[in-house]
Order: sequence, then structure tokens, then C-alpha cells
Amino acid sequence: MDSQAPAPAQHPKYAWPEKPRLIGTRVSRIDGPLKVTGRAKYSYDILRPGMLYGRIVRSPHAHARLKSIDATAAEKAPGVKALLITIKPGDKVLYPGQEIGALAAATEQQAADALRLIKVEWDVLPALATVEQSMRPEAPQVFTPANTRRGTAQEDGNLDTGFAAAAHTVEGTYSTQVQTHTSLETHGCICEWNGENLTAWVSTQAVHGTREGFAAGLKIPQANVRVITEFMGGGFGSKFGPDIQGLLCARVAKAAGAPVKMMLDRKEEHLTTGNRPSAFARVRAGVAADGKLTAFDAQTWGTGGAGAGSDYPLPYIYTFPNRRRTHTDVYINSGQQRAMRAPGHPQGCFVTEVLMDELADRVRMDPMEFRLKNLPPLAPNAMWAKYFPMGAERINWKSRHVTGDPTPGPIKRGLGCSANRWGGAGQGARAHCEIGSDGSVVMRCGTQDIGTGNRTIMAMVVAETLGLEVNQVTIELGDSNQPFAPGSGGSTTAAAVMPAMRVTAGKARDALFERIAPQLGVPVDQISMGVGTVLVSLSTRDPLSDAQSAARSGQAPSSRSISWRDACRLLGTIPVSVDGQWERGLSAGGTSGVQFADVEVDIETGITKVRKIVCVQDCGLIVDAKTAETQCYGGIISGLNYAVFEERILDRNTANMVNPNMEWYHMAGQSDIPEIDVVLVDQPERGVIGIGEPPAVATAAAVANAIRNATGVTLRSIPITPDRLLTELERAGGTN
Amino acid sequence: MDIPKPASPLVNEHHCSNLRHKGMYVMSVPDPDEFKFYDRYDATHYWCTCTQKALGPDGLSVHPTTCQHGGERGCCE
Amino acid sequence: MAGGMDLLGLMKDYIVSPDRIVSIKGLDQTIAGADSGIRIGAATKIADLADNVLVRKMYPALATAAESVGTPQIRNMGTVGGNIMQRPRCWYFRNEEFNCLKKGGSRCFAVEGENQFHAIFGDGPCHIVHPSSLAVPVIAYGGKFRVAGPNGSRDIDAGEFFQMPNTNLYGESVLQPNEIVTHVILPAPGQRSAGYEVRFKQSHDWPLAAASVNLVMSGQTVKSARLVMGAVAPVPWRSQAAERVLAGKTITEAIAVEAANAALASAKPMSGNAYKIRVAKTAVKRAVLRAAGVAWS
Ligand SMILES: Cc1cc2nc3c(=O)[nH]c(=O)nc-3n(C[C@H](O)[C@H](O)[C@H](O)COP(=O)(O)OP(=O)(O)OC[C@H]3O[C@@H](n4cnc5c(N)ncnc54)[C@H](O)[C@@H]3O)c2cc1C
Ligand code: SF4
Repeated sequence: MDSQAPAPAQHPKYAWPEKPRLIGTRVSRIDGPLKVTGRAKYSYDILRPGMLYGRIVRSPHAHARLKSIDATAAEKAPGVKALLITIKPGDKVLYPGQEIGALAAATEQQAADALRLIKVEWDVLPALATVEQSMRPEAPQVFTPANTRRGTAQEDGNLDTGFAAAAHTVEGTYSTQVQTHTSLETHGCICEWNGENLTAWVSTQAVHGTREGFAAGLKIPQANVRVITEFMGGGFGSKFGPDIQGLLCARVAKAAGAPVKMMLDRKEEHLTTGNRPSAFARVRAGVAADGKLTAFDAQTWGTGGAGAGSDYPLPYIYTFPNRRRTHTDVYINSGQQRAMRAPGHPQGCFVTEVLMDELADRVRMDPMEFRLKNLPPLAPNAMWAKYFPMGAERINWKSRHVTGDPTPGPIKRGLGCSANRWGGAGQGARAHCEIGSDGSVVMRCGTQDIGTGNRTIMAMVVAETLGLEVNQVTIELGDSNQPFAPGSGGSTTAAAVMPAMRVTAGKARDALFERIAPQLGVPVDQISMGVGTVLVSLSTRDPLSDAQSAARSGQAPSSRSISWRDACRLLGTIPVSVDGQWERGLSAGGTSGVQFADVEVDIETGITKVRKIVCVQDCGLIVDAKTAETQCYGGIISGLNYAVFEERILDRNTANMVNPNMEWYHMAGQSDIPEIDVVLVDQPERGVIGIGEPPAVATAAAVANAIRNATGVTLRSIPITPDRLLTELERAGGTN
Repeated sequence: MDIPKPASPLVNEHHCSNLRHKGMYVMSVPDPDEFKFYDRYDATHYWCTCTQKALGPDGLSVHPTTCQHGGERGCCE
Repeated sequence: MAGGMDLLGLMKDYIVSPDRIVSIKGLDQTIAGADSGIRIGAATKIADLADNVLVRKMYPALATAAESVGTPQIRNMGTVGGNIMQRPRCWYFRNEEFNCLKKGGSRCFAVEGENQFHAIFGDGPCHIVHPSSLAVPVIAYGGKFRVAGPNGSRDIDAGEFFQMPNTNLYGESVLQPNEIVTHVILPAPGQRSAGYEVRFKQSHDWPLAAASVNLVMSGQTVKSARLVMGAVAPVPWRSQAAERVLAGKTITEAIAVEAANAALASAKPMSGNAYKIRVAKTAVKRAVLRAAGVAWS
């Protein structure tokens, strides 16, 4: 065990129950019925009286200087109520889709039609569409101060010694593509002014952060801004503020004197609302004859678009005692990256894990045994050595053949594995809890449920703490008028919010007991919580003992039980109303997991069918086994897309995206999704840790390794499309 | 009482007060062990709060190396 | 407009902006036996075509094509006539920013650009692949399109209906603006026929290559064959070279491979789509083997 691993902490007063009644069970999303019946209103669904529809004026060019712009025809177009141009002649644009103005019209179609009436003249300038174009010595300088920026440079140990100790080396260039977030609900908002006050319904991962962003961007007091996100259709790291479309929406709404809805379309999403940067790595790595890694030397680069970074962790997880790495950010004329589901990790994982399989082959070791030999020491936040054998069992790893399926015929089977890690520790959420005399419980917290099930697990913790059922608790979230909670990113929401739920509900329970004790005629320490009841015992009891043991002791003749309703009735006209917040001792950080893939490759068509993914993943104390599992499903599907399907394709001559849709920007459909076997490892002693990002990290590498195991050819580049796979197979000696 | 603060490498007296990144809105607690599993790296996406995008009011890209007091950018506050 | 699955997309993307739209939902929607063949109304939904017992029994290549078009929603709305007459999916054609040759511009962006899904046959100047999956088996079965216009109705051989870009750059067929397709008419099929489509994604996607083969048999021997490939050329691409390989032979895997090689011998891939030759060969081979009832290994 690693001695420096964070010691499991326990909250002195509101520790997690030892024998929970609800926590750790499978509870379906409480808003599931609302969502499947269409009654849940997403930002996209909000309709306000007199509402107009906004569209953004955008650059059609990747790199150009404005000569002139004339919007008079658009201004007079049918239905147009307000128009704003934010660019002036001489200004430059640096990526296709760059915002240069906005308008609002009575219908969506009128707004879209009016956009086309704006006459814009450009000086089209040479654009950089690929990292190769940008890195050429003769490339035009498009970015200030340069087209590239030297990033991190690291060195540890002694490379010469490392390579001297190597019996084998592998050298190669690995790469990953640009992936866009492609949230089902696009970015955007509805802005409504009431005098100087702005109410905005925004598809965001941070209601409080978005309020701050509106105020700063519009130069108005934060007190004048309210941001609401009741239901949200995914952000994956790309939705942390009002964004430029939020500011433009607020401005045209003000100019038009009417509420304006401005939701982006799919094309705008792909072009301008973020992406996962590409990654390239020229690697040389060494392994000793006994299978111990000795050295790793890499130059890496990648592009996060126009002026944005592209760094990622490398080498990932496994211990290379001697290593060196330099990274360069390369800029091209495309929309900028944003944080995307475990920023950097899938890239670093892919490069390292494919390399690991190649190195394992050099020393003729089973790839899993090879990994076990080179893992960091076992610790609560580094459990791979335990999880690999667990996953191997579920995927039937012993059936694995060595690289290259010897079975005749076009269909080749293969297995692969990989590992992931993440932090997932949060803090800082605040909440307010009210218990009414009719027994109703309302918990308010300015967090947001971005589709993860946050609302459901909040209700579970509150219900657990108050001895109630999940449907007896009302959760109110997604409003910046509620107590502050941080944005939902870095898989921190559960770890930030669940402690606040536990503490605030615990305080509300204590307050309730204090209020009713005089009326029950007993000291407060003789009141405890049952299940749907309040227990009054004659002996002194620990008021915080868990519900089940309380319920058991409730049967003792020395106590009586009062129903929750009757107990609350004693509150009279004044509810219990308490504030609480995240406190130490209920959450932690540092998760680990492994994944295995079982694939089938048709070597005559280049098409990969993923048959099964096994995922072994921990996330501390599991609150809802069901929603935790669905986070794994979602992550794995996105990792599978990364492995074979998704790719932002830019026309190499103009830097315009050719597939800004969901037709040629391929994503797995139902029939492409394999059996997914999730094993959640519960670590109740660690408290709550987030799980949103980690399951998305390892899938692509596991799939790539399984394809390599099936076909015997090494693909150092994703996505593994029929195009790439057939080309590689052909190079390896044809398929017929 | 804990008063949690978001983790940010930006320095008030040094960097422009309009510079933003996700870590300023998400209050994660760094894992002290993290850099045992790989070396330090910077995957941060920056934006300007005035423009709410990755280009500043001057049309140039936003980054801590250029959004600094005493630098060349007139928009730095 | 029939089902609108194509036209509405073109309008939303500002590729076409018609002044007036006429509903043609009232066209014949029935599938009926005619002579020894079949007559399919142009307004027949693709889903109905795929489910039709007669089609499934007599024209398996057509059933295969119909059941794998797009998604259930697309098959429920899209019609046979609309499928035949839909416009190309070339991503330069479909994106407003690119004023390409087909839209009256001066260059084909695919030539020096991203052409992994473009044609491997034809001399340009436009390099689309014809999008209709249904047209491929219709030609393999020797079908006709019944067309109505101001001067009444005429039948056009499906194999002569589609036009290459060097003949017709701005459209894809001989159909005149004042004409409409009313029926697809198929003669009796050969004793054996089948289709095979290679799809990257298993739904909501387009074939990378497809093939339909229709065999007139004499016992175990092929008397004559019709072989048509889809998604490889600006029109459904018939290969008489492959047909000649099959004629007079008993189908084996080796013969199927030979036919596939013959079918692709004259392919001229672009800078980024040579892999499609292998994909198309596989489609041909598997269609032939499937028609003959030989399992492919
Ligand atoms: C994601 C996706 C995947 C798809 N995959 C496939 C696929 O794999 N294979 C495939 O074949 N198709 C595929 N399609 C296309 C789909 O099959 C067609 O869009 C649909 O069949 C069009 O039929 P419609 O009746 O809706 O045509 P409409 O949109 O109504 O019409 C299309 C065009 O044909 C004209 N037209 C319609 N009927 C007639 C007629 N009777 N006579 C003359 N002109 C007429 C219209 O004027 C219009 O120009 C896919 C589409 C999408 C969006
Ligand atoms: S292939 Fe045809 S439609 Fe596509 S860009 Fe070239 S000319 Fe245009």
C-alpha cells in the first residue's frame, strides 16, 4: 500500500451510514418519467410570451479580413426585429463560424433567411487546415506571436541509462483525431429582460458561473442576473458560461425589447463550441528482457484550433523510470478546444496503451501480465493490479490468442485491455433545507443535473438521512437564485454536492428534533430517526445511528415511534429552515479502472464490430448503482466512438469542416453498441467520488488493442475506419 | 469552517482579471498523488470573460502567456 | 415533394430554394404483380417495399436494399420515387460554403480535398457517388421507370435513366423538369439474385459500396448475369466484365472473386479512396455467393 495515499476520512457528525438503506441500491432516475414523456423542459423547450428567434452571423471563411458588410436588406427582411454587427472592416476572423453579429426575428426560418441577406465582402487569407501545414517552415504566419508554442518539457531519470538497459525498443508515431462534444442538446439560451434584470434559461454546466459570465460580459451587476437550467441535455465539458452566443442573445433581446431564444444548430456546434484536441506523439520506448519498462522518449504535438492548447498526460499510468517529453501546441484555423470528458486522458491512454501492447509482444509476454509488471504500487486510488484480473475473468482473457487471429476466413476476433485514472474530488457546494409541518421536505442547491442523475442521488442522500423514501423529497436545483454550488466539471459534482446534502439534511433533522423535543417532553438526545418515523426512546441514544438499527431498536418496548407526518405536525406554522454545505470527511478523490474489449474485424471490408466491453471501475462510495452504471455506459460508448467512428474532417484546402452534421460525423447507433459489462467496485470507506469522466478514457485503447490482436496489424492512429484499417492490412501483405 | 477555493494557476496581480478557465468555476480538490501516474501537463482551455470566447476584444487568442499586465495587449485589465 | 426526406434537408441547408412546392403524395402507393413481374408505385414508402411479401420472395436484392436504407423513420417517410430522384450526398455539395461545380461553381473540391467517400469510377468532372440504394437492384433486375409528362407516359430503361456528370452536370438523370416518375416496373427476376451492402455503421449511414446480382440459371450453370454496383460511381455502375465472367459458370468462391476482380479492374480511385476498391470487391463477391447460395468463408 502506498503510504501517502489520502487516509480515509470520516465526518465527525454526519458520517455515511454503515448500513445504508438506500445508498448503494439501484434507484431509477426520479425525473425519468418526465423525460420520456416530454414533460421535462430543457432550455431548448422554453417558450416565452412574445419570444423571438435569434441567429448568429458567422464567418464562412477560416481566415479572412473583412472588406465591407452591409446588413440593410437583412434589417428590413420580414420578421426581423433586431440586428447587431460586431465586426468592422479591417478585422480578421481566424476560424470558420467565427461570430460577427446576430439578429432576432419572429420565426426561426425568417431569422435564417435574413442571415443570407447580409452582404459581406472578405479578403480571403491563406488558412491552415492541418498541423502539418501549420508546422511547415514556409507556412504563412497566421497566429500571433507564432503558429506554434512550446509547451511542457519534462525529463526524469537518465534516458541513456534507460535505453542502455533496454533489450528491445519500439519507435513510432501515434495519433488521435479531433473529436467534438456533440451534446444532444446544443448550446444556447433564452434571454428575457425585465427592465435592467436579465433572466436566462441556459443549457449550461454551471448556473452560478454563467451568471457571473453574463454580468462580466454585459457589464451589469450580478445581482441583476438569474440563470436557470432545470433540465440539461449534456455538455461534456463544453458549457461553462454564457458563451458568446449568450451575450449576443442578451444584446439582441435588449435591442428588440422581447425575449429571444438562441439555440445553436448542429453545424454551429461542431464548428465553434469546442472539441477534444488532436494528439500526435513520436515515441521511442525501451523494455528490458525481463519485461520491465526502462525508457520513454517522446516529442508530442497536437492542435486545439485557433490559439488553443493541446497538451495531455504521457506516458499514462505505467512506470517508465527514465523518460523525456516535449510538447508543442500547434494552431490551425478551426474552432478552439474546450475541456472534454477527461481532458487529455483518452489521448495519453491511447498512445501509451497501444505502445504497451507492442512492447509486450517484443518480450513475448501476455499484455496483461506485462502491465501488471509495470504498474505503480497498489493504493486506494491506484487499484489496477487488482482490477486487471477481475476484468480478465469477465472477458475470458484466457481464450486470447497471440497477436493475429489464426482462424481462416475474413472474420478475425481479438481481445485488448487498458487502464484509466481520474481525480473526481469536489468541494464547495451549499444547500438549504426546509421541513414543513405537513412533512414535506425541500432541498435547494444551485447545482445542476447535466443528465448524470445528480437530482436522483441528491434525493437518495436526503431521503436516507431523514428516514424517508426518495419520492418524499423535493429537490430544487439549476437556478442561480439557489445557494451556491460549483460548476459540474472534472467529475466533481457528486463529491461536492452529496456531502452538502448529507450535512444539510442532517442539520435539518437535528433542528427538527430540537424543535419537537419540548413538545414530546423528552430531552433531544432521546429522539432518533426511524423509517418514515421518529423514534422516542427512554434510554439515551445516539441520534445519528443509521435508520435500520434505529428501526430495529424501535421495536424495543422502551421506545415509541411517531409517524413522520405527526412529528412534523408539531412544527406548527413555522418550518425547519437550515443552511448547510460541503464539509470534509464525506468525499475523496482518485479513481482507477480498467477496461477490456472483445472485437470482431472483417478484414475484407475493414469494418470492426465491438462485441463486448468489460469495465471495472471504482468511484468511492457508490450512491446509486444504477446511475453510476449508466455513467459507465455513456463513457464507454463515447470511447468506442473515439476508437472507430468520430472524426472532425476539415477540407485540407479551405479548413472548412466537411462533416458538420451527424450524418458524416459518425457516431455509434443502437446496432453498433456492444454488450457492456460494468463491474462497480464500492469503496464506502473513502466517501463519494465522481465517475463521469473515467469510464470514457480507456475504451478507445482497449478497442485498438483488440483490433491489433485480431488482425495482427498495429494501428497507431484513431479512428480505426475501414479506410485506415484496409490500408494498413494492404501494407501488411494484402488480404486475399 | 472550510472555505474552499477553486484551484487556479493564475495570479491576480500578474494576469488579466478577465482571463478565465474551467477550473475557476469547478471546485475540484487536486489529488496529491496525481503526478505519480504521469508528469505535469496543461490541457486548459482559456477564454476571456468580456468576449466569452477564446479570442479577446483585440481578436487575438487568449492565453496566460499573453494576457498579462505589462504585456502588449491593450485589453488587459 | 414526396416524403420530403431529401428535399427538406436540401432546403434547410440552403442548397435549393424552390419558389413553389407541389405535393406528390397522391401518386400510386401500391405494389402489384404485373405480367410475370411487379409494378411499384412511386409513392410507395420504402418501409412498405421492404416488408412486401412479393418483393421479399422474388426480388431479394431489392428487399435487402430497401430494408437497410437510413433509419426506420427515413424508411417510413421516404418513397421509392424520392429515393430514385434524391440528390447526391457529396459533402461539398451539401455544405453552403463550397460553391462546387455541381452548384455552378468552377471546381470540384473533392479532387484535391476529402474524397474518401467519393467515386472510384468515372472521369468527372464531378465525382459523386449516386445515393440511391434502390436504383442498384432495379437496374440489376432490368427494370424500367414509368415517367409521366405533358405528352403522356413513357417507360425508360433504368439502365439508361441515370446520367454521368460529363453529360449532365447539374442533374443526375434524363428526367425533364416537367416530368415525374410514376412507377418502377420490374420484369421477372432470374432464378437467383441477391444484394450485399458494406456499411460502416449498421444504421443511419450510407453503404461504402453495394452490389446487386441477378442470375438467369440453367441448372447449376449461370446462363446470363446482371451485376450492378452502388456507391462507387456517379451512376449505379453496371459491370459487363463481371457479367461475362459469371456467364456459363457454376458459382464457386474462386469464380466470385474473379468476377469481383473483373468488376473493379477499371476502377480509377481518387487520392483518398483506393480502399473502396477492396470494399467493392467484397460486396460483389458476397452478393454473387449469396445469390448462388454458397456460404462465404
Ligand atoms: C442519414 C440518412 C441515411 C440515408 N441512407 C440511405 C441509404 O442507405 N440508401 C438510400 O438509398 N437512401 C438513403 N437515404 C436517403 C433517403 O432514402 C431519401 O432521402 C428518401 O428516400 C427520399 O424520399 P422522399 O420521398 O422523402 O423524397 P423527397 O425528399 O420528397 O424528394 C426527393 C427529390 O426527388 C424528387 N421526387 C420525389 N418523388 C418524385 C417522383 N415520383 N418523380 C420525380 N421526382 C420525384 C423531389 O422533387 C426531390 O427533388 C438516407 C438519408 C439520410 C438522411
Ligand atoms: S463531387 Fe460533384 S458535387 Fe462533390 S464537390 Fe465535386 S463537383 Fe461538387
